Amino acid sequence: MQIIYHIIVFYLTVHFIWYMFKEKKFWNQLSAAIVLIMLLLRLLLIK
Amino acid sequence: MKSHHITGILWIIMVAVICYVTARSFLSMHQTEALHPSHFLTTQNTLSAYFSGLKDSPGDTDVFVFESQNPGGTLLILGGTHPNEPAGYITAILLVENLGISQGKVIIIPRSNNSGFTHSDPQEGNPQRFAIEIPGGERAFRYGSRLTNPIHQWPDPVLYVNPSGQRLSGTESRNLNRCYPGRERGFLTEKIAYGIMALIKKEKVDLAVDLHEAAPEYPVINAIVFHENSAELAALASMKLQTQDIEIRLEASPPNLRGLSHREWGDSAQVKAILLETANASHGRLKGRPTPSLILDGKDKNYVKAAKLGRLFVPFDEKGIPLRQRVSRHLAALKALVASLEELHPELCIKLENIPSAAELQKAGIGTFLKGQK
Repeated sequence: MQIIYHIIVFYLTVHFIWYMFKEKKFWNQLSAAIVLIMLLLRLLLIK
Repeated sequence: MKSHHITGILWIIMVAVICYVTARSFLSMHQTEALHPSHFLTTQNTLSAYFSGLKDSPGDTDVFVFESQNPGGTLLILGGTHPNEPAGYITAILLVENLGISQGKVIIIPRSNNSGFTHSDPQEGNPQRFAIEIPGGERAFRYGSRLTNPIHQWPDPVLYVNPSGQRLSGTESRNLNRCYPGRERGFLTEKIAYGIMALIKKEKVDLAVDLHEAAPEYPVINAIVFHENSAELAALASMKLQTQDIEIRLEASPPNLRGLSHREWGDSAQVKAILLETANASHGRLKGRPTPSLILDGKDKNYVKAAKLGRLFVPFDEKGIPLRQRVSRHLAALKALVASLEELHPELCIKLENIPSAAELQKAGIGTFLKGQK
């Protein structure tokens, strides 16, 4: 179950990073960055 | 390189810095506070010594055994079943660091749900720690969550059917006091419950006491919750407390409320099972800003107002209900229970020593009876 969780979170994290570099608008990049913080902490199983 | 690529790199650096700082803060909750047992300690063990299924798991926890040369009864004291109820585990820690014994045996588990101490309840804004002043400094204690850390037990079922067959909401699968008598191959929290049951059976515990706190608006408060096999014991202890001007109500453990310590310990192990509750404003829904001082001093203007409106089950004024008062109440109740056990069953006598009185605690504070320094 943990592997599935990791795969899902990793998939989303990669997409958010990709989106952040592709996006040209400053505020959209910031929004992606904020979500990335939570995704990375989840990916590392830190709570 | 285009400008939005440069800002993207800057955002990545910012994310890395915030993650580092946040992760350090979260991971600090996984560091266990050192305890300094009294010289009367006979054995320091872990729960996995009673149930190997907990070995090297986040559910394993310290077990402190105080045994006299003189035979008598065996008392089990649990603190930290709910790590957001500090009077429970501070009472247990205070006992570990001060207790003397001249007859019988006392077993103390100060952090019963060790995993629950490693995180805070989301969206509550609770402080991670509170500090108690001790001679020469202060000592910090974690303020954890009612539930096992989801990092250690995940995912929650939609509907949780506990080992006793009671159907509960999914998150209750991480509530130690809903998981008794536990499952050998169940969720982590069920394994902790199973380990505690194994300890009760192996050590032939006579009286087991689970130390808790509850919100002042909760009806079962300043109470002794007792299994029916302990009714006489609880009634006698209540009378002893009343003679000391400590008002405490008696609550019978409902037979159809399954999975709780005071129910399953009595049913599964035939041990005299008691749960004690004190009133904690930092635990309630009406509280203002949750701060370490709210935990320690127990002062909250919302609760004063609620008391004036008759919405609480305990008296609550501007003086609040400080931690020292809650701990002294637990200690007084424990002493009354042990004295009552001796009266009802002289062969189960347990002689406890070096426990501070309510007056001593009120005057000198909890820190005077805690060792070490952080």
